[in-house]
Amino acid sequence: KRYVRKGVPLEHRARVWMVLSGAQAQMDQNPGYYHQLLQGERNPRLEDAIRTDLNRTFPDNVKFRKTTDPCLQRTLYNVLLAYGHHNQGVGYCQGMNFIAGYLILITNNEEESFWLLDALVGRILPDYYSPAMLGLKTDQEVLGELVRVKLPAVGALMERLGVLWTLLVSRWFICLFVDILPVETVLRIWDCLFNEGSKIIFRVALTLIKQHQELILEATSVPDICDKFKQITKGSFVMECHTFMQKIFSEPGSLSMATVAKLRESCRARLLAQG
Amino acid sequence: MATAPYNYSYIFKYIIIGDMGVGKSCLLHQFTEKKFMADCPHTIGVEFGTRIIEVSGQKIKLQIWDTAGQERFRAVTRSYYRGAAGALMVYDITRRSTYNHLSSWLTDARNLTNPNTVIILIGNKADLEAQRDVTYEEAKQFAEENDLMVTIGELLRKEDAFLEAAKKIYQNIQDGSLDLNAAESGVQHKPSAPQGGRLTSEPQPQREGCGC
Repeated sequence: KRYVRKGVPLEHRARVWMVLSGAQAQMDQNPGYYHQLLQGERNPRLEDAIRTDLNRTFPDNVKFRKTTDPCLQRTLYNVLLAYGHHNQGVGYCQGMNFIAGYLILITNNEEESFWLLDALVGRILPDYYSPAMLGLKTDQEVLGELVRVKLPAVGALMERLGVLWTLLVSRWFICLFVDILPVETVLRIWDCLFNEGSKIIFRVALTLIKQHQELILEATSVPDICDKFKQITKGSFVMECHTFMQKIFSEPGSLSMATVAKLRESCRARLLAQG
Repeated sequence: MATAPYNYSYIFKYIIIGDMGVGKSCLLHQFTEKKFMADCPHTIGVEFGTRIIEVSGQKIKLQIWDTAGQERFRAVTRSYYRGAAGALMVYDITRRSTYNHLSSWLTDARNLTNPNTVIILIGNKADLEAQRDVTYEEAKQFAEENDLMVTIGELLRKEDAFLEAAKKIYQNIQDGSLDLNAAESGVQHKPSAPQGGRLTSEPQPQREGCGC
């Protein structure tokens, strides 16, 4: 755990992620499965949705540009399509394109990217991407509860402004910080995500909020607080990924998986009761 | 100093809705940044932008909420419909499916906003004439049949949609059909004249947007 928290060297990252997440084991147990998924009957609605986002996935990255050969858009398309066939309850959800894109860049391997995506979407993250997005809504509420307890001033401000967490942090959860925090920082977070599970997301979120608490408390309106939440994901604090990673394990204080599980349970029940 | 507390007199809240990939974010970006961007990153959840415009000599700040288009995101974006003074409903003239879904977007808009919300239909990507999949006439008919308060044809400058909606909303304020005191009217009045001193009832820093 300590080794991973200090950052996995880039050249070993793909292997370490594969092993830690159980993706390697799944891949070994299901030889040929990935390719079968791409040969089966296709769902035109799924294909349409994926295609719509291809040009909008890292348009600034030359490897994803349509004119590049070989173009990673094709790889991305395959991974997302295979995943949509594999997990039909989820299909394709916007945001998965960014995650799959990073996996492709790190592994340089279509099949491994697929199995890592499966580890994240199917096992590590609790139901963020299915059509009801209940896991996502739950975790945003959980973050709200954690803020209320750990950073009560921010919690009170959110209440006063009547702003929903969804507005501020949807992207954080859905994209796992891709295109929100600097690349190296995102990869370091993912090292821990694959190793320690989804509570890392709360650690990162709480650290960002705590570190910039004063700035956030200046907000006097909803648009204002939106701006502040954009600002806090930029600057030297998030660029210095070593310090940042140390902070996420010290700043938010203790955060056991048991606490998170309990909060998830109560928030989920509340959401279901609201209908 | 005699500086006015605000350099605009009203805030209008807008939402932009429509299927994924119809160009909602580009439309917003183009309007607020005044430049075109071909591959806007798609919106996850909700984003917003602002721009100050002028209608009948009044400065109005438009606060525009851009929502993710994929259907499942409606679960998290619907709360933003509340309190919208204007709704821009966008489809892509080169993809019929995005046009076919308009009625479901309209149902959401009607159910979740107030009766005075000005709904505008925008046929986007009109520059791709060769790939046209929806005719202007049928879209116009759809707008008329559904009594959309203002219809903006796809051929007009896109910026006009934002302005036309504002004109209509302003007109509704002037003729009294839009009650500014009503909850969720989507409009806030910002008295800009400082002479009123303490007597000017300055609205509290806005509690707006997402009714929760």
